[in-house]
Amino acid sequence: MGRAVVAEAQRRGHYTTVTTRPTSSRTRNGVDDGAPNERTVGSTAEIDLRSHDGLAESLAGVDTVIHLAATKEGDFHSQFAGTVVGTENLLSAMTTAGVRNLVAISTFSVYDYMSIGAGHIVDERSPIDRNPALRDEYARTKLVQEQLYRDFSDAGNQVVILRPGMIYGPNNLWHALLGSDVGSRFLRVGANATLPLTYVANCAEAIVLASELISQPDSNLAGETINVVDDNLPTQDRYATEVAARIDTPPTVTVPWPVMNAVASSIKAVNRHLLGGRAKFPGLFVPDRLHARFKPLRYTNARAKRLLNWSPRFTLIEAIDASVEAEELARASTTGGGNS
Amino acid sequence: MSQSATFTEPTALGHPDPSRISGGLSGRISGGTSGHRSGAGPGAEINLSMRAAVVGTGAISVEHLTFLSGRSRFVELPDRRVKPVAVCDLSPISARYAAETFDVDAHYTDLEQLLEFERPDVVHILTPPSTHVPLASLCLEAGAHVICEKPVAANIDELHALLDVAERCGRKITESHNYCFNPAIAELTQMLTDGTLGSLREVEIRIALPVTDPDGRFGDANLPHPIHSMPAGVIHDFTTHFASLLLHFTGNIRFPRVTAAWSNHSADPLFRYDNLDALMIGNGADGPVHGRFRFEAGAGPDTFTVRVYGSRGWAETDLFQPNTRVVMPRVGGSQLSPIANHVANGAGLIRNGMANLGRKVMQRTPYEGLHLFLDDTYRALATGDELPVTADDMRAVCSLIDQLLEEKTRL
Repeated sequence: MGRAVVAEAQRRGHYTTVTTRPTSSRTRNGVDDGAPNERTVGSTAEIDLRSHDGLAESLAGVDTVIHLAATKEGDFHSQFAGTVVGTENLLSAMTTAGVRNLVAISTFSVYDYMSIGAGHIVDERSPIDRNPALRDEYARTKLVQEQLYRDFSDAGNQVVILRPGMIYGPNNLWHALLGSDVGSRFLRVGANATLPLTYVANCAEAIVLASELISQPDSNLAGETINVVDDNLPTQDRYATEVAARIDTPPTVTVPWPVMNAVASSIKAVNRHLLGGRAKFPGLFVPDRLHARFKPLRYTNARAKRLLNWSPRFTLIEAIDASVEAEELARASTTGGGNS
Repeated sequence: MSQSATFTEPTALGHPDPSRISGGLSGRISGGTSGHRSGAGPGAEINLSMRAAVVGTGAISVEHLTFLSGRSRFVELPDRRVKPVAVCDLSPISARYAAETFDVDAHYTDLEQLLEFERPDVVHILTPPSTHVPLASLCLEAGAHVICEKPVAANIDELHALLDVAERCGRKITESHNYCFNPAIAELTQMLTDGTLGSLREVEIRIALPVTDPDGRFGDANLPHPIHSMPAGVIHDFTTHFASLLLHFTGNIRFPRVTAAWSNHSADPLFRYDNLDALMIGNGADGPVHGRFRFEAGAGPDTFTVRVYGSRGWAETDLFQPNTRVVMPRVGGSQLSPIANHVANGAGLIRNGMANLGRKVMQRTPYEGLHLFLDDTYRALATGDELPVTADDMRAVCSLIDQLLEEKTRL
């Protein structure tokens, strides 16, 4: 996501100061989402947000911060340190450096899916999860992070919170909204639910547009929360079919949503009534997590289009093709084209 | 300012009194899973006035706060006999989150303010090791007892200085030797005290963890873990476990012959060492006792095995996946004992396999010993009895670790 946002920002002529962790690199995953525009000049700083060191100094001369960093792996405390403490340190450094404009990247994971009925629309007014004890580490830490964003906004700063759906692209075509690995098989849950997807380049454009608007004095965007999903969202089946036609996918077993939901609900009831709620089961068997990933819902990007004057540039097919091409280029460069 | 409460001593809970008697294990176990409590017996009334504070809200704080907030599933508290009154962390959001999660009224980013405003009776210090001595001193000077995560000090000189502060202030300080309190260790201890294994000959402790994994908390080069600054580097996070477990079985005997091979097989400059192979030979009451420590970063799966050899047989457990295996003379004499051992251990493996599945589902972690240690510690603080981990225990553990790190002992 970071590479795509930098590429988009530079494409639009912005000077970018990029902070990355010391061990990160632009080609860490073997895929480069876009070369920087040579006409623009950017600077980089190696910083770990979990530490204050050098953070405020790196923000000198910056108008707007786009905060993309989050930790998605590891246990709760690793994710808390990377996502929540990292954000706390960044906001503190912004205050020190006098930077008041923030594009804050949140996630669809913050919504309270148990209280949103199947078939209903998820939009910016949908309730967020106030009791996320049963949600995964990512959702729990992103909820705390959103609270920090709001506190920063309440302190008189200009903050717009963007909540992208599932960001897909190179190296993330076969993703967690389709199902989970179970041994050597992939267990798909459901077939007909709409996927809240946004292609990485489409999402990057929305983020950069938001940064341009929030940079204006007394921006109308300040205090807004905006969901980011693409147009013409596919069903699980259609998306999986399109992806499987282009890349190798694992052997798959599909379980219908009603069956999986019934199983998970039964386990939750047994856990609550017979085990005091103390038992821990894999995420697929926890309704609070299952609903967040597979519940049949509807989504809208009307607010994003209206407030950001944004329209996703890439269609689903264009996005998948571009992603596959980028993956193939990366593979070629690592296996044979070493001097390119 | 302290609050007062009264409660009635509950039914004894199942774990051993780990207080040590020099030279051996006699008197340390009162019987398997029905261990006794030190101090007041069942039915006695104890006055309690414990206000606790927690400093540092990292992963281990969850265990301490779970205990303090009365939510432990390992100890059954008859009442809220300890009240967590405040948490402290340099990160405001971390302190706030921990306080909200465990219904603690106050949270701070400044320990001195916490000590001044909250006046805790006990402070749990759960911060990086290099901060333990200054923070513990601050708390002791403010009149609080201290329960400190391991290692409490980087070396014996630091520890002596800290214990001097405690003595001068008339307060107590203890170090978490949590694994000594795990039921699996109690089981091995019981087999030594009741003579099942004969007299102790050797203790072998092996930990295998992928600490050099760049995606793990110790291998993260972006923000190196504070433990890397300790004399044994990342292995210092485990040396207290090694030493406290060995001394738990042997008593605080001296080990005049020590040799240790400290290696960094990964060659990763982030690590001082990632491998330890140590041998200790001491003189126990019943003859020589060998100790063996192995720390291995490159061998899987995650393992924490403790094996004790006696003059009659040996027993082994894995603290991560408890399953006690015992090899000893059984019915049938020397001809049939090997077969009887296979049958008995096979049956135990099936039984413990099911039990460990249950433990995993019910989230019973190897930290159950920590809850039992805290429970015993609070009881001792309330009654004025000797702490389950005494200053002498801490000195013995720290001295042994220093010994392992001495240049002259290195292989």
